[in-house]
Amino acid sequence: MDTAMKKLPPKPVNLKKRLLHWGVSIVTILLIVWSCTGIDFGGIKATAGQIAGAIFTGIFNPDWSYVYNGTGEDLVSQLWSTICIAFLGTFISALISLPFAFWAAHTRHKKWYVSRTGKIVLAIIRSFPEIVLALMFIKAVGPGSAAGVLALGFHSVGMLAKLFSEAIENLDDGPNEAVTAAGGSKVNIIMFATLPNLLPALISNTLYRFDVSIRSASILGLVGAGGIGYPLIIALQYRQWNRVGVILLGIILMVIVIDWISGWIRKRLV
Amino acid sequence: MADSSAKPIIELKNVKKVYGKDIVGLQDVNLTINQGEFVVIVGLSGAGKSTLLRSINRLIDISDGDILINGESITKAKGKELRMLRRNIGMIFQSFNLVKRSSVLRNVLTGRVGYYPTWKSSLNLFTKEDKQRAYDALKQVDLADKVYARADELSGGQQQRVAIARVLTQDPAIILADEPTASLDPQTSKRVMEDLKMLNEKHGMTVVINLHSVQLAREFGQRVIGVREGKIIYDGKMSDTSEATFDQIYSGGDQDE
Repeated sequence: MDTAMKKLPPKPVNLKKRLLHWGVSIVTILLIVWSCTGIDFGGIKATAGQIAGAIFTGIFNPDWSYVYNGTGEDLVSQLWSTICIAFLGTFISALISLPFAFWAAHTRHKKWYVSRTGKIVLAIIRSFPEIVLALMFIKAVGPGSAAGVLALGFHSVGMLAKLFSEAIENLDDGPNEAVTAAGGSKVNIIMFATLPNLLPALISNTLYRFDVSIRSASILGLVGAGGIGYPLIIALQYRQWNRVGVILLGIILMVIVIDWISGWIRKRLV
Repeated sequence: MADSSAKPIIELKNVKKVYGKDIVGLQDVNLTINQGEFVVIVGLSGAGKSTLLRSINRLIDISDGDILINGESITKAKGKELRMLRRNIGMIFQSFNLVKRSSVLRNVLTGRVGYYPTWKSSLNLFTKEDKQRAYDALKQVDLADKVYARADELSGGQQQRVAIARVLTQDPAIILADEPTASLDPQTSKRVMEDLKMLNEKHGMTVVINLHSVQLAREFGQRVIGVREGKIIYDGKMSDTSEATFDQIYSGGDQDE
C-alpha cells in the first residue's frame, strides 16, 4: 500500500471559483438593496396596525354559520363549484394537450423546426396569465363558472402539454420501432406503443395539474369567473373578517384534502 | 451461395451509410440473400452489423445505393408502399421492444397492424382468426398460458419469445434479428435460437441474425457474413469457415485491438 495516499488530500483551491462565488454574493446583496430603494414605503397608513389586528381576530373567529345553510350560496356549495371548475378545466386541457404534446416532442420529428415551433406556441399559451384569460372569457361568455372553466382549460394547456411532451421525449423508442418494423403507421405507433407506455405519466401530470388548478380556481372568482373567490372578495370588500376567515379555512382544507388524494393516487401509479 | 434454383429475396447494391458528416456506418456493401437462408452476421460491436440489418427494413435510411426486397426497392418506397414492404419483414430486437404495460396478447397482435386499416386496429377490431393466430403463435413458443399476462410480468427469455410470437403472427417472408440473445443467459439464448430456427425450417422464413456469440453462430448458422468497419470482409458457408476466419473477423488480425 502506498502510505502517501492514506491521508485525505486537502481540497484543491480554485481561485477562479472562489472569486466567482464572492462575485455572485455581492451582486445578490446589491440587488436586494437596490430593490428596497425602488419601493415607496411612505404610503403605509397610520392605522395599519389596528386594521391588521381586526383582520386577525376576524380570521381566528370564523363565521361558522356560513359553512352550510342550504341556499347554495354557502361555503360548501361554493367550494364544490370551485372543485368542479378545476376538474372540468383540467379535463378539457388534458384532451387539448395531447396533440400539442406530440407536436412539441422533438423525438417525434425528423425536422428540428417542427417541435421548435410547437414549443414556442406552448410558451405563448403559458405566458397568458389565467386572470387575464378569465377576464377575456367573462367578456365573451359572461361572468360565472363557464368563464372559469374555459380560462383554466386554455391556460393549463401550456404547462400540461409541455409536461406531456417531456414524458414523450423520455420514452424508450424500442416499442415504437417494433410497430414500425411490423408495417405500422404513425397512428398505429401512437395507439399500440406510445400511449400505453405514456399513460402513467399522463395521469400523474394531469392530477398534479388538477392540484394547481384548484388553487387557481379559488382565485379566479375574484374577477367573477365563478367559484369560492367571488364570496371571498365580497366579504373582503365589506370587511366581514370572520367570513373571510371561514372562507380561507375552507380553501386551506380543500387544498390539503385534494393534495392528499391526488398524491395518494399518483403514488399508486408508479 | 445456395443451389442454383435459389431466388434472391434481399439484395443490397453498393449500399453506403454515413452518419453525420464523416462517420462511416457502411461502405460499398453488396450482398444477396436467397429465400430460405439462415444467415448469421458476425463482427465486433460498432462494426456496422446493426446498421446493415436496420437498413434492410429501413429503420435506418441509407445514404447511397439501393436495397431490393423481392426485387422491389425499399429505399424508394413511400407511405403505404413502404408499410407493405415492412409487413413482409419481421424484426426481433435485443431489448425485445414489447409494450411492457400491455398484455401479451395485445403485443402479439401488434404483429398484425400492417394488415388492417389504421382506424380498425386502433379500435382493437382484430378478427377472430387473427386472435386465434396470435394464440397459436404463443403456443408454438410454449407461452400459451401467459396470453392475458402483462408483458412486464414475464422474464427476459419469455419476453423475447413473445417477440418471436409477434413476428410469427406477422407472418413475414424475412426475419431480421438484431442481437436477439445479447441480454439473455446461455440457456435461454439457445431456446430463442431454436425458436428462430423453427421459423426458418417449419415456416420457410428467411432469417438474418446479428450475433456476438461465435458459439451460437457456429451451432445455428448456415451462412456466415463477417463485417468489419462497415465492410463485408467474409462471406461463406458455416461448414467451410475455420476458427482462424472467426479470429480474423473479430480481432481484425492485428493492430485493431
